[in-house]
Amino acid sequence: MTHAPQSLRLAAAPHLHGGNAVRRLTLHTVVALLPATVFAVALFGLAALATLVVAILSCILAERLCAPRSTLGDGSALLTGLLLGLSLPPALPLWMVAVGGAVAMLVGKRLFGGLGGLVFHPALVGRVFLQAAFPVAMAQGWLAPFASGRASQLPGTSLAAPFMAPEAAYDGLSGATPLATARLGDGATPLADLWMGTVAGSVGETSAVLLLLGGLYLVAVRAADWRIPTALLASVAVLSGALHEFDPTRYPGVLAALGSGGLMLGAWFLATDSTSSPMTRKGAWIYGLAIGALVVLIRQFSGQPEGVMYALLLGSALTPHIDRWTRPRPLRSRGAR
Amino acid sequence: MFGPRPAFSGGIALPRREPRPGELAIRQMPFAPSLYLPLRQHAGSPAVAVVREGDEVVRGQLLADADVEKSVPLHAPATGRVLSIIEQPDPAGGTVAVIHLAPFPGDTQEYPGGPGCDPETASAASLLAGIRAAGIVGLGGEARPTHARLRLPPGQRVGMLVLNGIESEPVFSRVPAILREHAVDVLMGVRCLLKASGAGRAVLAVEQHDADTAQSLLAAAPAGLPLALRVLPARYPQGAEELLLRVISRAPRRGSGGPVEDGALCFDLATVAELGQLLASGRCMTDQLVTLAGGALLDPGNYRIPLGTPLRFALEHAGLRPDPARVLLGGPMRGQALASLDRSITKDTTGFVALDRNEAGMPEPPMPCIRCGECVAVCPVQLHPAQLGLLARKEELKAMHEEYHLDHCIECGCCAYVCPSRIPLLQLFRAAKAQWRRRQPAVAREDAA
Repeated sequence: MTHAPQSLRLAAAPHLHGGNAVRRLTLHTVVALLPATVFAVALFGLAALATLVVAILSCILAERLCAPRSTLGDGSALLTGLLLGLSLPPALPLWMVAVGGAVAMLVGKRLFGGLGGLVFHPALVGRVFLQAAFPVAMAQGWLAPFASGRASQLPGTSLAAPFMAPEAAYDGLSGATPLATARLGDGATPLADLWMGTVAGSVGETSAVLLLLGGLYLVAVRAADWRIPTALLASVAVLSGALHEFDPTRYPGVLAALGSGGLMLGAWFLATDSTSSPMTRKGAWIYGLAIGALVVLIRQFSGQPEGVMYALLLGSALTPHIDRWTRPRPLRSRGAR
Repeated sequence: MFGPRPAFSGGIALPRREPRPGELAIRQMPFAPSLYLPLRQHAGSPAVAVVREGDEVVRGQLLADADVEKSVPLHAPATGRVLSIIEQPDPAGGTVAVIHLAPFPGDTQEYPGGPGCDPETASAASLLAGIRAAGIVGLGGEARPTHARLRLPPGQRVGMLVLNGIESEPVFSRVPAILREHAVDVLMGVRCLLKASGAGRAVLAVEQHDADTAQSLLAAAPAGLPLALRVLPARYPQGAEELLLRVISRAPRRGSGGPVEDGALCFDLATVAELGQLLASGRCMTDQLVTLAGGALLDPGNYRIPLGTPLRFALEHAGLRPDPARVLLGGPMRGQALASLDRSITKDTTGFVALDRNEAGMPEPPMPCIRCGECVAVCPVQLHPAQLGLLARKEELKAMHEEYHLDHCIECGCCAYVCPSRIPLLQLFRAAKAQWRRRQPAVAREDAA
């Protein structure tokens, strides 16, 4: 027998791969967010664009400077920046946005060991930090939809220097979000506006319809587990429906609850983050139901107008426990036990 | 997506290439100028040569034999001269004696066989003896001597035989070839096995794409033969014995005992056909049905290859292109990449795949686990591959086995196939299992065997 060909290479089985990749998952998520992103820029103009660009750049820069090796290729820094930007008020001072991005990547991601090590979604960590550190700016950063001049000038608050008192946004143009209006008892926002997104709100959270479409795309290309958003939205629908039934004047209806705040963005794009959500299918159901219940609880019975952010964080804190409760049992030892 | 539900959770739908008609036909491969016959071609103790260097042997003549319980005899695959018997490195580890046989020219290769055996009149004991004497071992991978599997501990009975007509990996096409060309042998094999095992009935399990062929085989069965057909939706890896028995019985299995306790015994379809053919003709096992596949072959397909044929000769006969990227012993999901083509066709080989550059692809570096849970969803035996992978990196062998039941892993490779981070889970698990086995005291190993 002669020698083997020079080129015969060794590799470990399996020699086939299904083609799924981390990069594919993140890029699909970015694509799914594009409709809502474009709509956000149309709705809030330069302010939204600047917020998104600063959020993305700060995340990428933080990752580039602090990751032990370049991990930008997997797209997760881009996605985190995009999600952070979409979840912030559009007229938030840009330096705060940059700080949020840095905190998201350094505290939310790097401190936990980077990709795969996280406990909470880094974008949520960035946002919750901003909420805690700059509550006034976060509460005043809203813009009215389709404000005139949005395409040509930035609101004064956006360009505020660090730690200086910001100027007013545009005169008389800042708007109150639907959830805040409802809380103050100023009446309900029309459902059509709420679902289409022609209301004041965070940069990319307003259009429930576009986020829903993006989410369906994400599920269709199998880049997200459909069980989590399904369970989460069902849980919100059932609980808020029950409350509405109990006292229609105090509690908003099902469609208003589903279409407002950061619920759609959170349910489809933040809750489905693979690392901070449970690994088993049963766990995904529990996770979604728990977060949905927390959303309704916080929205209706706490001092906060919006609860999605905290509900997601609490849900992620439950993840290790859910994983333990739903640990798969090997086939062969079933029945014997 | 809306087809019939598979009877086990997990598994994957592997892409399956429809074989061209010419590939299905079983082609006889000529004798290589030299045949190399290792004396360990089955699980259990190696055989001992009963011929000496310089002997002339006749096709079908006994070359080596060993202890009756755990071994099977080896016969000359060709009429020729024994050039040497030397210890050589065994691909499975250690060394093994190898008989080097030079066949005489083709016109001297007549193989008349002996008196056939009739399952109607023969006793179960004589059938068992005949199966052993023919040198038959299980063809579906493990290569346990078939007669040893049929010999049950006292007090146990076999209720049902399962004929495994599901390809171990979709790239192989032995099942349709056997159903088409060896229908008579399969039926004969079933009758022999029913008699030898005392089982009341037999079930032939095939996947959807072989349903029609299997149907026509059943139509040819003699009246009164208790053989039923079970068609399953195609899903990898349900050809694994463990899963197939579960699917067929549809009942959760109790304990972790072997298949015999359940009253069902599983045989590879190729083994059944081989057994039927050999017992009917009074011959012994001298060649092996092997699928040669892959883009680096000009003429892939099913070949009947004399035992001991050098792998290089076999691949070149099937049109091996000059520059294969990777040659696999077994299929692409679980097969082992060979460092050299210096091995021969043995009784435990079912197929080889020669991958070209395109198919082999570029290896991608693994990334950290992102806990997506895909591996958990596809694991057909419901283990936790992600957690096992993390433990493997930390070499927590004890936790892997005692807490996460790695010993239940059937090494199908589904977890690594779906992993978006390209973590080599199957490789990690195989290494961890081997390391764990080495750590166990020898006594425990004996018990497990």
